Amino acid sequence: MPVDTLQQIAETNSWGSIYPELILGILALALLALEVVLPKFAHGLIPRIAIIGQLVLLGYILFVDPTGCCSGEAFGGMLLLSPAGQAFRVFFLASSIFVSYLGMVSLANKQLPRIEFFHITLVITGALMLLAQANHFVMLFVALETATVGFYVLVSYFRNNVLSLEAGLKYLIMGALSSSILLFGIVLLYGAASNPALAGSSVDSLNFANLKVFLQANPTDVMALMGMLLVISGVAFKIGAFPFQIWIPDVYQGAPVPTTAFLSIASKAAGFAMLISLVNVFEPLTDWLTPLLVGIAALTILFGNFGALTQRNVKRLIGLSGVSHAGFLLIGVVASMSVEWALTAILFYLFAYLLASAAVFGVMVHMPKEDEAELSLDDFADLSKKNGFLGLALAIGIGSLAGIPPLAGFIGKLLIFVAAFEAELYGLLAVAVIGVVVSIYYYFGWLKYAFFEIWKFNDDEEDREEPVPGASLGLFGKLTLLLAIIGTALLGFYQSPLGNWLAGS
Amino acid sequence: MTIGLEQYIFVSSLLFAIGFGGVLLRKNTLAIYMCLELMLNAANLALVAFSRYHGAMGGNLFVFFIITVAAAEVAVGLAIIVALFRKKQTVVVGELNALKN
Repeated sequence: MPVDTLQQIAETNSWGSIYPELILGILALALLALEVVLPKFAHGLIPRIAIIGQLVLLGYILFVDPTGCCSGEAFGGMLLLSPAGQAFRVFFLASSIFVSYLGMVSLANKQLPRIEFFHITLVITGALMLLAQANHFVMLFVALETATVGFYVLVSYFRNNVLSLEAGLKYLIMGALSSSILLFGIVLLYGAASNPALAGSSVDSLNFANLKVFLQANPTDVMALMGMLLVISGVAFKIGAFPFQIWIPDVYQGAPVPTTAFLSIASKAAGFAMLISLVNVFEPLTDWLTPLLVGIAALTILFGNFGALTQRNVKRLIGLSGVSHAGFLLIGVVASMSVEWALTAILFYLFAYLLASAAVFGVMVHMPKEDEAELSLDDFADLSKKNGFLGLALAIGIGSLAGIPPLAGFIGKLLIFVAAFEAELYGLLAVAVIGVVVSIYYYFGWLKYAFFEIWKFNDDEEDREEPVPGASLGLFGKLTLLLAIIGTALLGFYQSPLGNWLAGS
Repeated sequence: MTIGLEQYIFVSSLLFAIGFGGVLLRKNTLAIYMCLELMLNAANLALVAFSRYHGAMGGNLFVFFIITVAAAEVAVGLAIIVALFRKKQTVVVGELNALKN
């Protein structure tokens, strides 16, 4: 390759435009360095440093640079900087701060290494940010794998707990399998689009823009269609869409609560970030893609909701309800193929989901339970009497997840449904309404345990001192939950600031 | 017979199918893990063949990234398998069924 070309590519390396990812990487390394440098008694500071560092970065992005410093391609077409990418950055950073807080609470009384948890969380967040802005399959794959390998470690983080390790192994096999399927799909697309005998082929066919040109010229190429199918399957694994949702209940149950939260919030959103950019690339194949996604979305909603009905384990319940949320988001993705503002609706839904999940997981992490994988609905009995604040947070969080007006989750669902209506997806809407009705049943079943007396068999255990839920709730914990509650309630009434930022930015 | 692109793609698809079938059918975690590696290598073979026959260098480059990623995955994966074996004294999938409703 001539030197000129190399220089031209090097000039597009705008390091300044990926400062959030760079800062996260530096912060992650600094944590490890601090563990070596600081004396033993000061190690408790390190998680706080991680959280404060992320808060500062979040503040900077929100108040100084809300729309992203740059737009367009960077790093020789590897990244596509866009306002939506900036919104995803904020999303991942906010969820990472929340997960760091959960990790601080969850690891407080465990004989486990601590710092690595925050280190890996930061690295994953940086990778997810890059993933959301990837514009090239090499970038997409490497960022995805960086995050996935990090998640393997986080899922099996409680390494002296068999359940956590088992969940880790299951996630490992399923994650690696889905990555391989995704990868083979990429290879087929590459093989089809780099064939010089076909129109629109290019030397750099892993680039999204070049691939789209090829697909426009050959919308019926069999190899490209196979590749598309495999790539969508790989992504469906990540977001837990039907028929690739089998791993979700087990992995969510066995993983530590902070990791479960991270998986259900950030990992799912990353899957959708990926799906949104891929749907754009596969636009010329709409004839095949739309029926495929419609089918997946409908089955995902039905499976998630009906699967969650019989669950008594809270983490499995959250996992399967998360599957149904993925289904609702998939409706948004299908709608975004014909209705432009559906992308804003998806982002709004994700932010509402983040806040609601923050409330629910924030309550879960404060429940006193020896083995958190066994946390079941019975453990929430009389929660509102034992700790009214936790009860309120749970009610708001679950209400928002169920989509009860006037909470944020309701507006999120409404926006998605209106977008689907504009896109004339009436069949999907009918399925979605069934899903919503079913979901109210199990969400309110959970609340019933927390708020109303449940008759229990009296077996002389009354005198036993039961640990109080929320004993570990410090000032920071109260603030976090309060923020989630207020955010959820406010977004139900005033959508315009967030909506305008997501749409106009 | 000259070996062309089709033969490479055929072998690669075969490797991928064997790997996929192995992941679904094998009972031993280590065997499943080998099958996963087989699937990644099937992708590598196809990438190199496409790259060579189509004169596009991107595929060759991608292979290096895939090898690196596979190595990272193996490092983490084997650590999890070893930790699990220490606890349960087994790596057979059927016996790892503690997680249920």
